[in-house]
Amino acid sequence: MLISLQWIRDFVDLPTDLDPRDLAERVTVTTAEVEEVTPVHINAQGLIAAKILSATDIPEKRNLKLVELEVGDGKTVRTATAAPVLHVGSNVVFAPVGASVTATGAIKAATVAGAPSEGMILPGEAVGIPLAMQEAIFLGDEFQPGQVLPAEMFEDWIIEIDNKSITHRPDLWGHYGMAREIAAIYDVPLSAYPITPKAELCDSNLPEVAISIADAHACRRFTALRLEGVPTIPAPLWMQLRIGRIGMRPISGLVDLTNYIMADLGQPMHAFDADQVPDIDVKWAKDGETLQTLDGMERELTKESLVVQSQGKSLSLAGVMGGLNTEVVDTTDSLLLESANWDPITIRRTAHRLSLRTDAAARFEKSLDPSNTTLSIQRFHLLAKAMYPEMKLTSRLSDNYPSRPDPVIVKVNPPHVKRTLGRACDLTEAVSILSPLGFSVEEIDGSWHVSVPSFRATGDVSIEADVIEEIVRRVGFDAVKPSMPRVSMRDIKMNPIHELEMRSLEFFCLAERFHEVNSYIWYAQDWLKQLGMEAGDCIELRNPAAEGLHQLRRLMMPNMLAAVQRNRFYFSSFNLMDLGSVFELHSKGDQEHRHLALVSARRGKKEESVCLSHIKRAISQWAWLRFGQQVTYTPAAVLAECPWENPHHTATISLGDTIVGRVSVIEPGTRRAMDEHLSAWSIACAEIRLSNLTSLTATVEKLGTIPDHPQIDMDFSILVPASSRYHEIAGQVADFDHDLLKQIRFVDSYEGKSVGEGNRSLTFRTVIGSQQRTLSEEDANGFQDAFEAYVTKLGFALRK
Amino acid sequence: MTLDELSKQLTKIELQVATGLRELDQIDAVRSFESSVLGKQGSIGLLLKNIRDYPPEERGQVGQVINSAKAKAKAIIDARLNEIQREAVEKESQGASDVDPTLPGGVEPLGSLHPVTMVQLEIERIFERFGFTVETGPEMESEFHNFDALNIPADHPARDMQDTFWLNNGQVLRTHTSPVQHRAMKKFGAPLRIIAPGRCFRYETLDASHENTFHQVEGLVIDREISIPNLIAMSKALLQEVMQREVKLRVRPGFFPFVEPGLEIDMNCQICGGSGCATCKHSGWVEILPAGMVHPEVLRAGGIDPDQYSGFAFGLGLTRLAMMKYGIRDIRVLNNGDLRPIVCSQRLGGPILVNKAS
Repeated sequence: MLISLQWIRDFVDLPTDLDPRDLAERVTVTTAEVEEVTPVHINAQGLIAAKILSATDIPEKRNLKLVELEVGDGKTVRTATAAPVLHVGSNVVFAPVGASVTATGAIKAATVAGAPSEGMILPGEAVGIPLAMQEAIFLGDEFQPGQVLPAEMFEDWIIEIDNKSITHRPDLWGHYGMAREIAAIYDVPLSAYPITPKAELCDSNLPEVAISIADAHACRRFTALRLEGVPTIPAPLWMQLRIGRIGMRPISGLVDLTNYIMADLGQPMHAFDADQVPDIDVKWAKDGETLQTLDGMERELTKESLVVQSQGKSLSLAGVMGGLNTEVVDTTDSLLLESANWDPITIRRTAHRLSLRTDAAARFEKSLDPSNTTLSIQRFHLLAKAMYPEMKLTSRLSDNYPSRPDPVIVKVNPPHVKRTLGRACDLTEAVSILSPLGFSVEEIDGSWHVSVPSFRATGDVSIEADVIEEIVRRVGFDAVKPSMPRVSMRDIKMNPIHELEMRSLEFFCLAERFHEVNSYIWYAQDWLKQLGMEAGDCIELRNPAAEGLHQLRRLMMPNMLAAVQRNRFYFSSFNLMDLGSVFELHSKGDQEHRHLALVSARRGKKEESVCLSHIKRAISQWAWLRFGQQVTYTPAAVLAECPWENPHHTATISLGDTIVGRVSVIEPGTRRAMDEHLSAWSIACAEIRLSNLTSLTATVEKLGTIPDHPQIDMDFSILVPASSRYHEIAGQVADFDHDLLKQIRFVDSYEGKSVGEGNRSLTFRTVIGSQQRTLSEEDANGFQDAFEAYVTKLGFALRK
Repeated sequence: MTLDELSKQLTKIELQVATGLRELDQIDAVRSFESSVLGKQGSIGLLLKNIRDYPPEERGQVGQVINSAKAKAKAIIDARLNEIQREAVEKESQGASDVDPTLPGGVEPLGSLHPVTMVQLEIERIFERFGFTVETGPEMESEFHNFDALNIPADHPARDMQDTFWLNNGQVLRTHTSPVQHRAMKKFGAPLRIIAPGRCFRYETLDASHENTFHQVEGLVIDREISIPNLIAMSKALLQEVMQREVKLRVRPGFFPFVEPGLEIDMNCQICGGSGCATCKHSGWVEILPAGMVHPEVLRAGGIDPDQYSGFAFGLGLTRLAMMKYGIRDIRVLNNGDLRPIVCSQRLGGPILVNKAS
C-alpha cells in the first residue's frame, strides 16, 4: 500500500525538516515494513489553469489535436496536444511558455505540425499521476484560467508499505490509521478526524432509507444516505494529485471522492444512482442468478453470494463490486451512498470464487471497524460540501446495525508483561504507550483492564498477548537488552529416526563415496511410463504442481533413476543416495515411511558386479556400524512395482529375520528405456526402509582376548556351480562343526579359466585353535580331512 | 710370550682389525670378521684363553691388557657396522627418490552431502551445544497439525489450494515445520528446547527463487521465564555462529498467527555489509528469521499452561541459508538431481588447476 506523506501531514504536525527515510525506518521497526520511500519531486514552476476553447484534429497527425486555450486576462494561446480526451469549456493543468516541471524542463515556444505551440497541456504522468499517463488533468471551478497552481501541492514523498505486514491491521489500510501510528512514534498529537457532525445528517424531517438485512452475520452494518445536487465535475486538484500519487487514476469528482475516503479511512463506499434504488435489501443471491458488474462482466451468482438488492433486483455484489445498471453516470444528480460492514470470510470467498480481488474486497477481508460506516459518510459529506455547493440531503443518515459488537476489554497481568519484555513496565509507562494508540487503561486489583478502540477490536487485539505486543513494539526491539534464556535441564532422548538418518547420510556420503541428491516426493507420470512402471495405488495430490505430478511416491527409486539419467552426460561413474519420505495408502490411515535409496552407476556393461558389490559393501558396513548386525541377502522375485529389477540379480536385504529393503541390478531393457546411452552402462540400486529400524538396538560384540595358545588360519576354496547362490552355500558351510573350529568367514568368490567353465570358487577362511594346548600338525590335518569330508558330503569338491 | 711380546702382538691385531674392516662392506662379513677376532677361537679370544700360561702374579696385568685391546677392537668393529647400516639406509632412501613428494594424493572422486544437509548438520551442532533436542515430524500432515493447532483460522488464506498442497485423503503436505512444535509439546510437555529441521511444501510456481519443495528449521524454547530479550540473544548467537562473524540484527514487528508478539529478525546484508545491494534490495537488511513469542493458544493446544510457561519460536530457511552460504543462484538445482551445481568440484576428482567461475 502506498502512503502519501503530504496526506499524513493533514493529521499529524510533523517537523518540517523531517527526513522521510528516517520516518520509514521508524515505521518499519515499530509498525509495518516499509519497502520503499520515493520522493515525488515535480518542481512545478508557473503552472496555471487554462480553459479549453476549442480542439481540432490536425490533419495527418492522427494522435495530435490543435487546442486553443484561455490563459487569463483574456489572452489565448494555441498548442498541440496528445491528450486523448479534451472537454471544450473545461479547465486543465497547463504549462505556458517559460513554466517548467521536472519531467519536461522549461517549456519553449515551438512549431508543431506547422502551427505555433505556445505551452503544453501537461499529461498526468508529468504531474505525479502515473496511471493518467497522457491524459490531461481537468480542473473544476476552484481555479480561474490564468491562476497559478500552488507548487507545493505537487510535492510529496510516497512510502510503500508491504501489504503482508498489515494483513492483521485493518486500521492501517487508510492514511488516518497510519497517521495515528506515526503520531505515536514521533510523540506528537493526532488531529481529530475531520467530519460533518452526525447531527447535521440526522434531520428527522427527511425520510429514512429502508434497509433490510437478511443475514446479520454476513452484513454487520449497513449505513446509507441520499443526496442530490452532485453534478459531474472533476475532483479538486489536490485530491486528484493525492489519489494519483498512491496509484489510482482520477475519474470523476464522485468516484475520486469515494476512492479518497477509502485511502483516507480505509472504508470502501459505493454510490448508486438513487433513482433506481428506492430501498435496500441485503440478501443471499439465488443459484444461477446473474449480475453485470461495473467492469462489464456478466457474473454468475450462487446462494453463497451476498448481494445488495432493491425491489427484488440485484444491484451490487456486496463488498466486492457494484453493478453496471445502477452505475452513477454523467446525468446522475441524486445518489444513494452506501457504507457497510461485511463479514470478512463471506467477502473473501466471493472475491475468490469470482477471481475479483478489488480494493474494496481486499479491505473488507481484513475485518473493518463497523464504526467506519457512519464515519466515512460524515467524512464524505464534509469533503463533498466543498465540492458541490448545491448539494442537499434527501434522506437522513439511515443505519441498520444488527451486529453491534460488545466493547473489547482485555485483562492484562503485569507480571506477564515483565515476562515477555524482560523488564518491568509500570502502569504509567503502559498508559503512555497505549493511549496514543487509542487504548485506555484502568488498574483494578493489580491487573490492567485495557479498553480496545473499535478500530483495533475486530480480531486484531483480543487477548493479553496482543496488548503486550503493543507495549513491546512501542518500547522498541532495539531498546531491549538481549540476554540468554534461563532454562531447566531435561533428559530427552535423541530422536531415533533422525539420529539414524543423519548418521546414515554421513556414513554413505563421507565414508562410502555416495553423493546425496534430493528429489521431489511425487512421481512424474511420463517418467514412470518410460520406465514401464505401474505405480499402483498412490496417495494423490488434489492440486498437483503440474499435470502428471499427482501421485505421491511409494518408492524412491524412480526419481533416483531420473537423477542417474541426468548425470550420465557428465560423469562416467557415480554413486547417488537420497533419503526421504514415501507414502502408502493404508486402511488404518495412510502412512509415511522414511526410505534410503542408493544407486551405483558406471559406464560399461561389465561393471555390474562392481556396482553391486560397492552398494552391498556399503550396506553391510552401515548395518554393522549402526546395528552391530550382519546383513544377509536372499534371492527375490522381481516386484511388479519395480520393473527395473533384473530377475537374476535381485535380493532382499535382511537384518536378522527382518527384511529391510531390496538390492538389485537394473535390467538392460530399463536402461535402454531410460536413455539409449545407458544401454552400455551398469547400474545397481538398493532401497531400504529406515522407519522400521529405529526399534533395533545395536548389539555390541564383545572384543576378544589374545588366545593362550596360537590359532591357525586355514583357507578352503569350494568349487560350486556358477548358478548356485552364495546365500545357500554359506548356509550349508555354516552348519559344519568341529571341536577345534573357532570361526568361518567368507573371503572371496572367483570365476575364471582355472576353475573351469560353469564353476565358481568360493573361498572361506577357518580359524582353529584350542584353549588347552598348542595345535599339532595332526590336529590341522585332522581338521582339514573333516572339513573336506563335510564338503564332499554336500556334493562339492575342494579346489586344491 | 712375555708381557712385552703380548703387547706387540695385540697392537698388530689392532692394526689388522682396522685394515681388515676397511675392505668389508657387508654386515654379514663384518660379523664373521668380528668372530674371527673376538670369538673363542679368534685372534684375541685365543690369547685370553692362554692367560693361564702366565705366572699368577702377572695374570692380572695380562688380563687387563687383553681386555683393553678387546674393547678397542669391539668399538672399531661396531663403528664399522653402524657405518654400513647408515650407508644402506642412505642408499635405500636414494632409491626411492623418483617418488615426487609434491604429487597430489589419490584422485578418485569422493562422496558429498547435499548443500542443505551440510547446513542442517551445522545448525544441529550449534543447537545441540545449547542443549536443544532435534525433533522431526511427518511431511504428510493433518490439517489439524499444520493449521488448527497453530492458531491458523479455518478461513486463513494459507489454507487455500493456491498456497497449500492438499491430498485426496484430506491431509496436506506440511507448509512449514511448525507442526512439530505442537507434536513436541504433546510428547514432552514443558519445559522444552527443540529444533525441528525438515522438508516443507508450498504451492508455488517454480522460478530461480521459488520452489514448491524446500527445507526449514523450526526452533522452540519453552520455560518459566522466556522473554523477547532471550529470543533476540539466541537469534544473534545462532546467526553469528552460522555466518562465522559478527552480525547486526534489526528486529521489527511481524505477523504470524502462531506467535504473539510476532517479529521479523533481519540481518545486515552479508553481501554488501549493509550499504545496500541487489540482494538486500538496497535496504542493507535481509529478512532471515521470522520469530515470536509462542501464542497462548498454541501453548494451550500443546497442553501447556500459558500462565505458567512462555516460549519463543523461530523459523529459519535452510534452503535459503544453503543458497547464501554456497552461492547457489537458482533454487531449482537443489531438487533436480544434477550433481554439477550441488557438489563441490574438488570432491568430483583430482585437484583443480584452473577453475573459471561460470
